[in-house]
Amino acid sequence: MKQALEGIRVLDLTQWLQGPVCAQYLADFGAEVIHVERPGGGDGARGVRSIKALAIGDWNQYFLVINRNKKSLAVDLKKPEGQELFYELVRKSDVFLSNFQRENLRVWGLTWEKLREINPRLIYATNSGYGHAREINRPSYDINVQALTGLMSRQGEPGEPPIYLGMGSGDTYGGLMSALGIMLALHERRRTGRGQSLDASLYGAQLFMAAPTLQPFLASGKSLYSTQQSRKQAGNPLWNRYQVKDKWIFLCLEDTDENWAALCESLERPELASDARFESARKRGEHNAELVALLDSVLQEQNSQEWIDRCRSLGLPAAPIQNLKDVSGDAQAWENDYLLEVHCGEVNREVDIRGLPITLSKTPGRVESLGPELGQDTELLLMNLLEMEWDRISELKERGVIP
Amino acid sequence: MTGALQDVVVLDMTREFYASLAGALLGDYGATVIRVVDLSDARTVDHGRDGMHPPERWNSLDELAHRNKQSLAVDLVEPAGREILEKLVAGADVFLTDVPSATLDEKGCDYESLCALKPDIIFTRGSGFGPKGPDRDLPAYDELAAARTGVMPTLPQPGQPPVYTGVGQMHTAVMLALGTMLALHHREECGEGQVVDASLFGGNMYSQSLDMQAYLAIRDDRFLEPLSRLDSGNPMSGPMYPSSDDRWVTLAMPDTDKYWPAFAEIVGLDVADPRFDSHEKRCGEHRLEMMQVLDERFRTRPGSHWKQELDAKQLPADVIEKYEYPASDSNAEANRYILNLEHPTHGPIQSLGFPIHMSESPARLRRTAPCVGQHTAEILRERLGYAESRIQELEADGILGAEPGA
Repeated sequence: MKQALEGIRVLDLTQWLQGPVCAQYLADFGAEVIHVERPGGGDGARGVRSIKALAIGDWNQYFLVINRNKKSLAVDLKKPEGQELFYELVRKSDVFLSNFQRENLRVWGLTWEKLREINPRLIYATNSGYGHAREINRPSYDINVQALTGLMSRQGEPGEPPIYLGMGSGDTYGGLMSALGIMLALHERRRTGRGQSLDASLYGAQLFMAAPTLQPFLASGKSLYSTQQSRKQAGNPLWNRYQVKDKWIFLCLEDTDENWAALCESLERPELASDARFESARKRGEHNAELVALLDSVLQEQNSQEWIDRCRSLGLPAAPIQNLKDVSGDAQAWENDYLLEVHCGEVNREVDIRGLPITLSKTPGRVESLGPELGQDTELLLMNLLEMEWDRISELKERGVIP
Repeated sequence: MTGALQDVVVLDMTREFYASLAGALLGDYGATVIRVVDLSDARTVDHGRDGMHPPERWNSLDELAHRNKQSLAVDLVEPAGREILEKLVAGADVFLTDVPSATLDEKGCDYESLCALKPDIIFTRGSGFGPKGPDRDLPAYDELAAARTGVMPTLPQPGQPPVYTGVGQMHTAVMLALGTMLALHHREECGEGQVVDASLFGGNMYSQSLDMQAYLAIRDDRFLEPLSRLDSGNPMSGPMYPSSDDRWVTLAMPDTDKYWPAFAEIVGLDVADPRFDSHEKRCGEHRLEMMQVLDERFRTRPGSHWKQELDAKQLPADVIEKYEYPASDSNAEANRYILNLEHPTHGPIQSLGFPIHMSESPARLRRTAPCVGQHTAEILRERLGYAESRIQELEADGILGAEPGA
């Protein structure tokens, strides 16, 4: 089957998460993605176990999943010959992608000014920490940036600590945004014949990610959007999280009188429907704390499945709040290829991975292989793509330019 | 300078914020986006339904989701209205929608019907739970999708209610835009259109932490319960410590050996403290003790003190900010992540800007969000070549106009 990005070659000079995820989207849809790494250790994520910040398991799921469908080429960019070799690759590529700091790229001779001279059609994409406009060298791990946007501070119940959305949760958004930017630039290039430079920073992506509350905050300055809000005082008590006997559920009912009457029916508490405190949306909003407390006490009488069944039979939207175990067995996730089973060479068995969240009917994404071994494609790429003689390859090996 | 998508025409028949936002993203980068409002369909989106966004005459989320669009209002049930839609489709590249498939079938706006009018159309569709499977027709609310996706129970501190963050839908919006671009690329190469799908469920799957993949690989029940902020695997990467003035400090120094000497000095610990003098001890036998000690240390000084000290030593650590920070951050403005605008009807406002910088085809705010039907006559005249008299006739017949109740 054809692939959407067949014929597009990407030099993926990235490490850790945001950059690799960007290139992952392109690789999933058929681009030839060459993960360029330093000889020796390679991408830092190959050594993720040692940082002990995340459980890894017996196969390196951190590195292998986001670098799936890619080739790996190892080259020492500190050596002038390594840089020359990279320039030869640039001549034959459509996209350069990097999430290294600007200073690194300068030292390696890989600035936009330099690479556009070599290949005017090149799309030069960077993933900076804090944007292209200023060179800011403060650290830009995912959490550093999440801490700045303000999104963490409004999560959770009042008085509780802010909530980190989880390791990598912002990086993956930056990666997605960067992939969109590259596709936009490829479209522009088709018309103009020229490449351009683009930057999708972690800060820019995460500010946009906060839109559902940041945008109304910017417009109004109201603390409703910037501070923690208690579920016990939900503005619409029918759109809220409730603890039932076995777990939590999310009720999502627009606050109409019809929905309220139907909910009372499903709760088998018809008398509530005529309770004067709750007789209109305005009243339910005014007495929200009472209503949440009341629903808390009624709903905890039954299990989630019972409530979900009753709600669904009346057409009331509600869902059980699942945990990771539940979702890993969720048929809906598997049927849509959001989860996939693939072979993992590192442990020589089938493993489960996050799959393909974008579905294309005629050129679907696919996962052909998990992440490559360090430098596994170096020689082949030099021979086939750069048409290098074996003598020169041996010479480069001897000088430590490639492993 | 031009927009990257200046040659692309998108018909936007969306209802929900996430799907509309995908259209706005394409518009930001130059596409002509025509928002088609069906006068025969009274349903409008109410951002106030979750009780978080009080009904206001002007809604900032609509402003974001519909900027850089034109609005055309037409009764699609009437044959003359249907004819307008068909002519628009014939000249469009992308049809973007999140209308449920049964309704699209009724309206004759399903993929097959549109293909008959424009064989290489890109049909981009947002949904709650994806195009296949038993729950493909469940309502497309981000909350329902987030609830299904697994991390809500583990985000808060132990014993606290599950947390809904709202970021899943933001992934879906960009996935719809990216999927559209992938399909456009293929169309340019091979001449065929196709259907592009992204769902809130899929978006939430990718918006959440790496714990999702870790659970799939390890299947350990410890991923199912929330962790205390003082029970991180690494005391210098992940935990949060309170300052004396109720600010919170986060640390992101996974390679503790590298940062320990400078960090120990800031928090007033002896670099050679035998409990904490190696990465193995810090992340191993003395892990919990170290977090208790740091918790006490950080409580002794205000957030501003810690911010100054951490910044001076360039340590990857932060004092957690609120939205006031980006709202007044000159770097956010310099990068156009946040715009300070003079809105034609609402005066000076702040709004989110553009997350992707492009040197040759930058995003532009060409139009603020339109009123319903604002461009109906203009589009009929200029895009479809309708005579002025015919437009007036259609208006008189009630086939064009404003949304009911608007």
